[in-house]
Amino acid sequence: MKTRTRLALASLSATTAVVVAFIVPTTPAIAHGTMSDPASRVYTCKNEGPETPKSDACKAAVAAGGTQAYYDWNEVSLLEAGGRHRQLIPDGKLCSAGRDKYRGLDLQRADWPAKRVSPGALTVTYHASAPHSNSNFEFYITRDGWNPTMPLRWSDLVHLQTFNNQNPSTFTNWTLNLPNRSGRHIVYSIWQRVVGSNEAFYTCSDVDFGGGTTNPPTTTTTPQPPTTTTTTTQPPAGGTWAAGTTYSIGNRVTYGGVNYECQLAHTAIAGWEPPNTPALWRRL
Amino acid sequence: MRFFLLALAFVVSGCASTQPDTVLRGDPLDVMFLQMMLPHHQQGVEMVALAKDRAQDEELRMLAAAIEQTQVTEADTMRNWLTSWGEPLTAPPDAHAGHGGMRESDPEEVERLTALKGAEFDQRLANVMIAHQDDAVQMARWETGSGASQEVKALADRIDKSRTAQISMMRKFLDRV
Repeated sequence: MKTRTRLALASLSATTAVVVAFIVPTTPAIAHGTMSDPASRVYTCKNEGPETPKSDACKAAVAAGGTQAYYDWNEVSLLEAGGRHRQLIPDGKLCSAGRDKYRGLDLQRADWPAKRVSPGALTVTYHASAPHSNSNFEFYITRDGWNPTMPLRWSDLVHLQTFNNQNPSTFTNWTLNLPNRSGRHIVYSIWQRVVGSNEAFYTCSDVDFGGGTTNPPTTTTTPQPPTTTTTTTQPPAGGTWAAGTTYSIGNRVTYGGVNYECQLAHTAIAGWEPPNTPALWRRL
Repeated sequence: MRFFLLALAFVVSGCASTQPDTVLRGDPLDVMFLQMMLPHHQQGVEMVALAKDRAQDEELRMLAAAIEQTQVTEADTMRNWLTSWGEPLTAPPDAHAGHGGMRESDPEEVERLTALKGAEFDQRLANVMIAHQDDAVQMARWETGSGASQEVKALADRIDKSRTAQISMMRKFLDRV
């Protein structure tokens, strides 16, 4: 995919904007990017290598959620965000944008690799592998008193600055003014595309102001409480189809007043209703 | 050709008020969604199909088989829509330049999975498929939010729901092992 993207981009740059506009007149485009300085968590672990992470934090992130997130480091995004960030992303999941794919980024640890910073001017760099014109970039920092062993909530973010209607290039710099803080914090960013797409990108970059208390002990927090083992519900003979029930070949159900027979053993889920899944159910 | 399509639309619909373009041609976003989902589906099928010979856990193997078969039939439906609209099954390479390439799992991932067996395979497949289906959920929400065709949006809604449920099942599996 990466090669394909680069080739596509190379051909894009070789073509005039007018021609490209003609080829894709109204299609919402999918951009890609993340913060490279201070490096976002996903950028850090991608640079360490998805299969061979170096830092304990990236090792834990890969152990918690697999490697794919770090191959797709530039897609911590919601395609249909349209500015509804606070509505769509639950507290505690701001670094993953609420996406299971990126759940390793939400780990509450005090040892995420962090850039040493001081109050005052900080130049930040955004790496957009597919930059798109007309985008808004919002930057935040965590409140005084927050530390990275706590869940990151929307109410923990203090607005620093917003740059509207930006036309980013592959690497774009902005200068922020950091307030007084001590210890570890997160610089959070939201890239909301404005024209042609509702897509938004989210980044968590760890920074260290120093002078704080010594790092609190690392907690090995798993993002989800352990769940009980799945209980297999036996389907009643000829009962109504129900999500959560495991069906075997030959089991019969009714759905919407119609009878079906199971064609392939499976546990029923929403979206796999019998009329829509001829691979699983045969209408009688 | 254009005139023929317009004329045909008129005959088929039997109603002058029907917009020919929505009868015979796909909305650009619907078309792009389907053209992106098709290869994504095929890659997913390729990965879950590996479970037959490699998976250790019975529940995961059962889920993988059901994902494989349902996605094969969904892909048929998607191909039929594109064909009926006279659209190619894949977008011309240039068309994806504008949106920075497609969301799809790295084909090398199939090779990495192929090299594994048993518990190691199970864990990697679950994590990779969670990521893969999470991408599918994103694309599906894009279609349900911005697409045009009611039946394509209905499919996207089922993709959203079923992939979300699959992710939840795979996360339970990972918690269990």
